Amino acid sequence: MNVLLVEDDKQVGEFIVAELHAAGHSCVHALDGEAGQRAAADTAYDVMVIDRMMPRIDGLALIKSLREVGNQTPVLVLSALGDVNDRVQGLHCGADDYLVKPFAMVELLARLEVLHRRVSSPGSEMQTKLVVEDLSMDLLRQHVQRQDTPIHLQPREYKLLEYLMRHAGQVVTRAMLLEHVWGYHFDPQTNVIDVHVSRLRQKIDKDFEQPLLTTVRGAGYRLGPSLDN
Amino acid sequence: MEIRAVANSLTFRYIVKYVTVLSATVFLLQGIFYLYFSYTSFKDLGDSVVDELETLQVVYRGQSLDGVKQYIADRLASPSVNRFYYLVTDQSGAKVTGDLPVAPRYREFDDGWLGFELALQNWGESIDVDFLARPLDLGDGYKAIVARDYADIVERAELVFRTLFRVMIATVILGIVGGFFSASRALNQVEQLNREISRIVRAGPGQRLQVQDDKGYIGALATVMNQMLDQMETLMQGVRRVSDNIAHDLRTPLTRMRNNLSQLHDRLVRAEQEQLDRIIAECDDLLSSFNALLRISALESGSRLAGGHDVELCALLCDVVELYEPLAHERGIELVLDAPHPQVCKGEADLLFQMFANIMDNSLKYTPPGGKIRVQLRTAVGGAGHTVRIDDSGPGIPVGERKNVFRRFYRVESSRGEHPGHGLGLSLVQAIAQYHHGTVELAGNHPGLQVRVQLP
Repeated sequence: MNVLLVEDDKQVGEFIVAELHAAGHSCVHALDGEAGQRAAADTAYDVMVIDRMMPRIDGLALIKSLREVGNQTPVLVLSALGDVNDRVQGLHCGADDYLVKPFAMVELLARLEVLHRRVSSPGSEMQTKLVVEDLSMDLLRQHVQRQDTPIHLQPREYKLLEYLMRHAGQVVTRAMLLEHVWGYHFDPQTNVIDVHVSRLRQKIDKDFEQPLLTTVRGAGYRLGPSLDN
Repeated sequence: MEIRAVANSLTFRYIVKYVTVLSATVFLLQGIFYLYFSYTSFKDLGDSVVDELETLQVVYRGQSLDGVKQYIADRLASPSVNRFYYLVTDQSGAKVTGDLPVAPRYREFDDGWLGFELALQNWGESIDVDFLARPLDLGDGYKAIVARDYADIVERAELVFRTLFRVMIATVILGIVGGFFSASRALNQVEQLNREISRIVRAGPGQRLQVQDDKGYIGALATVMNQMLDQMETLMQGVRRVSDNIAHDLRTPLTRMRNNLSQLHDRLVRAEQEQLDRIIAECDDLLSSFNALLRISALESGSRLAGGHDVELCALLCDVVELYEPLAHERGIELVLDAPHPQVCKGEADLLFQMFANIMDNSLKYTPPGGKIRVQLRTAVGGAGHTVRIDDSGPGIPVGERKNVFRRFYRVESSRGEHPGHGLGLSLVQAIAQYHHGTVELAGNHPGLQVRVQLP
């Protein structure tokens, strides 16, 4: 994955670059909005990470101008502003995701991969059937089965599984699940999500030899064949 | 109730005191005036009688008894409304001249004064009239008595008394009316100030006193108090800014530390990994405390919700309950939602969700297995104002602690250590409720806790 990072804080920027490299991605670091604009015009990137508050051109103005010239590269905004309104404003300017500083690196990585996948496998929204290993979901009939056993899910469990299946093989964080499955952006003080996930796990993994839904320590969950094998 | 409110009002109590003092003062002053008037009238009367006696004495010495007879005859002949009455007696007590009968029934007063009652013919009618009289020895055994009736003085005094009484009533009435207007103006301002201060106490920081008249002494007082509020707010903001800065500045290195720790994870053996996981979890707790603290500050220091989006409370509460249902189920707690009708209020869905989630977190944390949590949505008639009640069957919060738990980092003593938490959950609840121009209150649920959120 080829990432453009536009971040004026040198220390934070270098840290993100190092982490992205460590995760096997390539990354170009621009130190202000103008440099970012030039870099985005020169090369096509898979995803862009743009800091919201920067000297000269601020993040939101940069995204607007990129969108105006037809650049559709997915953008994740980094911001120290965590207000609801700031978030909505950011997403209005054409950003695809919004992450409040400071953030856990796993959160950023997980979100970037999801953004990247959305663009690299277009038309996934139009699919009528999702398949992960021997688990399949018929989106038209809202029917789930593993091998030949039908699995009965509650509406929320169904949405949860659908999201996990659409991002099969990727790490999905708890915050991402809250945002996309429940549709709310908030900090739960307890492990509510874990309880939902373990309920789902009961239904799709309990009677089968190979577990599909795994917990990724310190990050979230992944649906797909276990990486240990 | 209305009458009691009026009777208790500052204006009314002031007026009662004012009228009492005013009436007493007017009564005293007019009493003094009346006594003085009566005294001087009688003194004048006495003086004139003494003068007349002296004149008789002088006449007797100069012209003997015939002169006196002549003098009295002249005096009696002259037409005068208020006139003297005379009696001159000889050595044997027989009447020599004068128009008074001999020896009426005298009452003796001090200093040689006599008083008696005599029926006078007045326009053919007999009227009893009081007289004041004084005897004098003219010499050679002759005695003179000069008397004068004082019905006119009594009449005048009565007239004065009646006038004074009316003046007193008029003064008191005018005083009450005038006093009421001037006092109610001043006291209205005081009561307005009172209301303003109560409003500020209710509404919280950022509010200032507003008085209609900013020139009078109340206006000056309001100005000074506003300056005091400014200073207090600056101080409070200073304190808050320090804690915010600490949270803000520590957040970044703490995040970096957490990131480095999670990198370390894969390189360790399992036993060490478990230890590291606990450290990472603690880092996350700290970070979430800092985040919550900063969110509370941002909500409290910023302006309140303006406009906002339509949020359907029934659906929102359904989502909250649905999110927490598995957790409740896992702990053996029954979770019930009673929100029969869709209700729309203005607000930010994410914040409202956070608020109810925090309350739910709390209720689940403290309700024992087998307990019950009930979420209820009620809307006032006409759609003005929504009440969300969350009742649990936990241990509740002692009455004295109910206000404190909204303070940052405050935790009820008995729950420290027993239940995890950073003591910011309810502070955030309050900040969000107030941001939405709403309130949050705690009450007892016999047993348990009732959290009542009012939203406009």
